[in-house]
Amino acid sequence: MLEVRGLTKRFGGLTAVAELSFSIVQGEIIGIFGPNGSGKTTLLNLVAGLARPTSGVILWQGTNIAGRQAHQIAAAGLVKTFQNPQLFPELTALEHLLIAGHLALKRRLGWQRLATLFRHAQASQTLAHRAREVLALCRLDAAREARAAELSYGEEKMLGVAMGLMCEPQLLLLDEPASGPGAEEIANLERVLRDLKREGMTLCVIDHKVGFLRQLADRAISLHHGAKIAEGTPEEVLRNPSVVSAYLGRAHAAI
Amino acid sequence: MKRLAGTALVAAALLALPLATQSDFVLTILVFAFLQGMLAVSFNLVFGYAGQLSMFHAAAFGIGAYATHLFGKHLGVGYWGGVVLAAALVAAISVVVGAICFRFRLREFYFAVVTLAFSEMARLTVLNWNSMTNGSLGINLQERPIDGTLAWYYVALGALAITLVVCWRLVHSWMGRAFVAIRLNDELGDTLGINVFRYKLVAFTAGSIMAAFAGSLYAYFLGSLEPGLLSIDTSLGIIAMVLLGGRRAVAAPVLGALVLTALPHLIHFSAEIRSLVYGAILIFSILVMPQGIYGAAAQLIRRHA
Repeated sequence: MLEVRGLTKRFGGLTAVAELSFSIVQGEIIGIFGPNGSGKTTLLNLVAGLARPTSGVILWQGTNIAGRQAHQIAAAGLVKTFQNPQLFPELTALEHLLIAGHLALKRRLGWQRLATLFRHAQASQTLAHRAREVLALCRLDAAREARAAELSYGEEKMLGVAMGLMCEPQLLLLDEPASGPGAEEIANLERVLRDLKREGMTLCVIDHKVGFLRQLADRAISLHHGAKIAEGTPEEVLRNPSVVSAYLGRAHAAI
Repeated sequence: MKRLAGTALVAAALLALPLATQSDFVLTILVFAFLQGMLAVSFNLVFGYAGQLSMFHAAAFGIGAYATHLFGKHLGVGYWGGVVLAAALVAAISVVVGAICFRFRLREFYFAVVTLAFSEMARLTVLNWNSMTNGSLGINLQERPIDGTLAWYYVALGALAITLVVCWRLVHSWMGRAFVAIRLNDELGDTLGINVFRYKLVAFTAGSIMAAFAGSLYAYFLGSLEPGLLSIDTSLGIIAMVLLGGRRAVAAPVLGALVLTALPHLIHFSAEIRSLVYGAILIFSILVMPQGIYGAAAQLIRRHA
């Protein structure tokens, strides 16, 4: 469903992503890992429209979306979460999800949603109902009325995932969901991602350590200096000598 | 339910007020306060909800006022025809100004400065287009589309009520949520599929249209047009009303408009000292009540509940 060909991003003299090609098929969990600074976040930003590629093609369901704006890409079903949780200060978890329901409402009602501005509509109740479901799915029920500032780091990250889900994406891109939160919260995250996979969601998860992805991912890609150095099952990629040397000694500690 | 009952009570009190006081003085102040309130409430849609500090609101107000008269006179559409055409003109100008500012992603201070520049352009046009606007002398409006202070009282109250209802519905809808998302974190809003450019433009244009209606009414109640309507003083006055009244509730700026319209008439000093006292009260209340009168009152009620 997603095919990336020859994707390159240069920041001045630095090449963050170099001639990268890979594809993602429907229903899989793909893990992308590499040491810090290997271009993982830049790659997701390019795909999600938060940065413009220097060159290359990003085919999403057959259409090149390279260089489109983030909201257009999100509307096409490709949604990204942030490594450092991005939230709306002052608002509660539930309010976050209602905002994130923007696209779902747009998809369901089209221009008719303008009519809902001036009379009560079933659609807004459906939206609130869906928001509660997503909170339950993400194990965030208890935090429903909590404001962004009152959430733990793990809850903040999970709320990012929940907002992504409210967009009803076909492919969810997760930027280091497991870096930062405690062990219990990571186990929780893993359960949530497995639930999503069971529901048929396609996920692309990036992480700088592999432990978390080893069990979860169907397929893995390893990046180093913005280029792909290995691809295969997580186990195959981990055994790949160039991956081991990319991590140098640090690999053993990280894995 | 409580809120609905409260709103109904306030509405009934305002509708019945002319029965209690026949004073032309009191009703006149209230008409000015309602029309200024309309201006402040519509500004707050752009500023308090969508987070854009527009300095173009005075221009929308003044263009609305001038255009109502000029369309009515030169196209022969009468006062109400002029009101509608003036609103359409302001909408068109706002779309252009907003599109330029938002396309170049002007934020905060930069957005304020550029909209101020556009507002000054509008003021200078009005000031120098003598054949149309009579320049700095302004125009005495002879027509009386609405006659008598009592009639004005109900028209102004009705116009304010419509503004409040429209803003309330917008703010408490999916579109209002998009506005808030833009104010609090527009990059996140963007990745969630919110077209930031579009909804900034919608908020800006909707606010300007309401300001144009306020201008059409205000000038005719005043009985004259002058370039000062479009000046930075008008913009600063609007900001003061919103900061004093409160930003986080649709109706809160009306409180600021009431206080700031009535205050100069309640302070019996010479003109120079009066503006000093006025300024001091404004600074003091904003320092003491950062959330405005509305925020302070809400906090007081919560503490005693």
